[in-house]
Amino acid sequence: MQSFPDSLADLKSQGHTLIGCFPLYPPLELLHSFGLSPVVLWGLRQDITHLTRSDRHLQPYACGVARSLSEFVLSRGRELLDAIFMYNACDTLRNLPEILESSLDRHGASIPLFRLHIPAVPLSRPFASDYLNERIRDLIGELEKFTGRSFSAQTFLNSTELYNRQRRLSRDLERLAETGRIRFADCSDILLSAGRMSLDDHISILERTVREFNGRAPGHQGVRIMLSGILPPPVALLDAIERTGLTVVANDIAALRRSYDYLPAASADPGAYYRDLYRNHYPCTTILPSADSRLETIMQTVRESGVQGFIFVGEKFCEYEYFEIPAVKRMIEAEGVRTLELEIGMDDALNLDAYQTRIEAFAEMLCHETRGSRRDNDAV
Amino acid sequence: MMPSEKTQGAFKKNTSGKRLSTMIMNDYLDLHRRASEGAFVVWIAIIVPAELFGGFENVVYAVPESHAALCAGKGTGPVLCEKAEGFGYSTDLCSYARIDIGTAFDGGRDSPTFGLPRPDLLISNTNNCSLLVKWFDVYHRAWGVPHLALDIPFCYENQKERDFRYIMDQFGTLISTIEEMSGQRFDLDRARESVQLSSEAFKEWKRFLSFAAHRPSGITAFDSFVQMAPILTSRGTRRLVDHYRLLADETAEQVKNGIFPVPDERYRLLWDNIAPWHQLRKMSGRLAGLGANITSASYTYCIGALEGEYDPYEFDGNDPLAWLARLQNFSVCPHGLNLRGKAMNEVIGRNAIDGVVFASNRSCKVYSLMQMDQMRYIREELGIPCVMIDVDHADVRKYSEETAFTRLEALLEMIGA
Ligand code: SF4
Ligand code: SF4
Repeated sequence: MQSFPDSLADLKSQGHTLIGCFPLYPPLELLHSFGLSPVVLWGLRQDITHLTRSDRHLQPYACGVARSLSEFVLSRGRELLDAIFMYNACDTLRNLPEILESSLDRHGASIPLFRLHIPAVPLSRPFASDYLNERIRDLIGELEKFTGRSFSAQTFLNSTELYNRQRRLSRDLERLAETGRIRFADCSDILLSAGRMSLDDHISILERTVREFNGRAPGHQGVRIMLSGILPPPVALLDAIERTGLTVVANDIAALRRSYDYLPAASADPGAYYRDLYRNHYPCTTILPSADSRLETIMQTVRESGVQGFIFVGEKFCEYEYFEIPAVKRMIEAEGVRTLELEIGMDDALNLDAYQTRIEAFAEMLCHETRGSRRDNDAV
Repeated sequence: MMPSEKTQGAFKKNTSGKRLSTMIMNDYLDLHRRASEGAFVVWIAIIVPAELFGGFENVVYAVPESHAALCAGKGTGPVLCEKAEGFGYSTDLCSYARIDIGTAFDGGRDSPTFGLPRPDLLISNTNNCSLLVKWFDVYHRAWGVPHLALDIPFCYENQKERDFRYIMDQFGTLISTIEEMSGQRFDLDRARESVQLSSEAFKEWKRFLSFAAHRPSGITAFDSFVQMAPILTSRGTRRLVDHYRLLADETAEQVKNGIFPVPDERYRLLWDNIAPWHQLRKMSGRLAGLGANITSASYTYCIGALEGEYDPYEFDGNDPLAWLARLQNFSVCPHGLNLRGKAMNEVIGRNAIDGVVFASNRSCKVYSLMQMDQMRYIREELGIPCVMIDVDHADVRKYSEETAFTRLEALLEMIGA
């Protein structure tokens, strides 16, 4: 597969105006409706192996997402991005805009930057949704100036429909992985590739893949497990998971299910649309008001999917995830589900042997238990 | 002995230090007593405007961050952190949170204040860091206590009208929530009185800090770290104003009498980050031996000021909620690079700072993940030598004194060169 920078270079050469978005859940539809091609800057770890620029600005205890994003923006941003967008997704990300801006300015390579504050209090409170409305209106004004286009309700509606199509197809693809029709590693790869191609191209790929794999018979099902974290584990670990007889039947990954599980009603009104999207979003550690529903949602998924093992794919230094792991762990272990905690740091992506060994041991234990319980059932 | 030759020891024997210990002890005793007598107990993040509780008849508040700092200062930080780690909380989480979780889930054991009384309501705030919301959620889940978060937009520039209105609306929710839960009525006049007292206290606080401009400095930043504690336990009270007035008066008297914390002060430094609670005595003593005084700290000079400013933001006697909303951005963490640089520049000028110590603190990413650029700005634009040392504010296990001092000594050499 092409590297992330090469994919963006291709998009640019096809005439796309690229807006690099900080993770996790930027208002893609709005940006798209202005003729911009939003690309979410996460999952860059495999392409960004040196942090020469970023290390001049961020201490090594920033998470890998922030460090690789910074490296990319500082080293290739001017060449590949026409603008940057960020919102208050997390404390680390909120610290970055001026760092990147001032460094780019110093090198005469400034890139226009757009910011949004999404209320971190329930949007059911009228003042919070009014505030979001106001911020979105301001953002629209800034985008109008930047693109020289006026906001069009019809175009926005079209964009919301397209993104909903992408979400639906993403869910369909994920279901194919759950039934073993497609490997989870391949499914995840296709879903993540959304960040490196145009929306239309991604929708086409999803349609093609879903069509192709829908016709296949359900694959062999290993021990059923669920993954949770910000990003899926590196491909080598996904391979190890499948090789050792585990099947990923559900996930609570921010770059995957958390991103597309909720389908907001298509709308011509950005205020109403984003109120709905952010209020009812699939729970995430970074969407602070979703804390209560997050545990319930995970529990429900664990039960409905018949999960026997649960792997936390911790993003090293992501405190949002780490604050919640003990509670989630306690809750699912109480259900008799086994858990494994992995922690992926910036340097670990290249050295995964130890993790593979732990996955093997985890799989062995789960498979052993499953065989044991099957024997018990047979005896009964 | 001439007054100007007086020692650091003589400086320390002032009455404000003793009064401070008594005040903090009484504050915690009072908190436990009132809680046990039925007061409505809230746990708050540092930035939550505690003056609002003065508007209620019988609401008491506890500040877990402040309690964690106290534990770290008294040396129980590591044991409490280890307990939290034993409960599954990662060592990479903020050490305040780990200390507090370790205390709360072990019934207050190993805490110098026997922990904090169980809350009726948790109130966090996103502006120092939104991790506080995650941290308070831990208790919300464990104990089923309601949790209300205040969301304060980060300031890349001065507070905007829309943000101000948003904050005011949230104060409305906060007040009505407490009214509903506690059955008490909020009295705006009482809150106004609290705000008036806080505003006066901040003025006295800044008067105390102003002695850092004297040469040699009348204070050390370590004094300010220790003395800031009652802002978190007695906010909006007459005793806080009195304490800071006496503190500033006593400091003035000492300066007049030529009593200085580092009499042979040769290097005047500024500290950027949270106080190294486990090192206050050691670090200040060892620096004094080198003729160096950390006279100022962004952690304490920001108190009572608007974003990017130094002087206190005074209450005009009108709407207390408006004053509190406008001042919601006072601490450094929610400030962008430009605002941080602006305030630091001001203090460097006022206090004739020779060098800046950036304490890179992996426990507090919000404070730290801007320092490399801020350091570049101070060094390159202002021509002030800087150094970065690694310090965890409350977990001594993540601090190496010798490594830190190798760098601090290099800074002093740089200044001397
Ligand atoms: S991994 Fe966590 S800390 Fe890092 S950018 Fe994502 S949410 Fe923020
Ligand atoms: S991360 Fe920093 S701002 Fe947040 S609670 Fe910890 S010390 Fe305070």
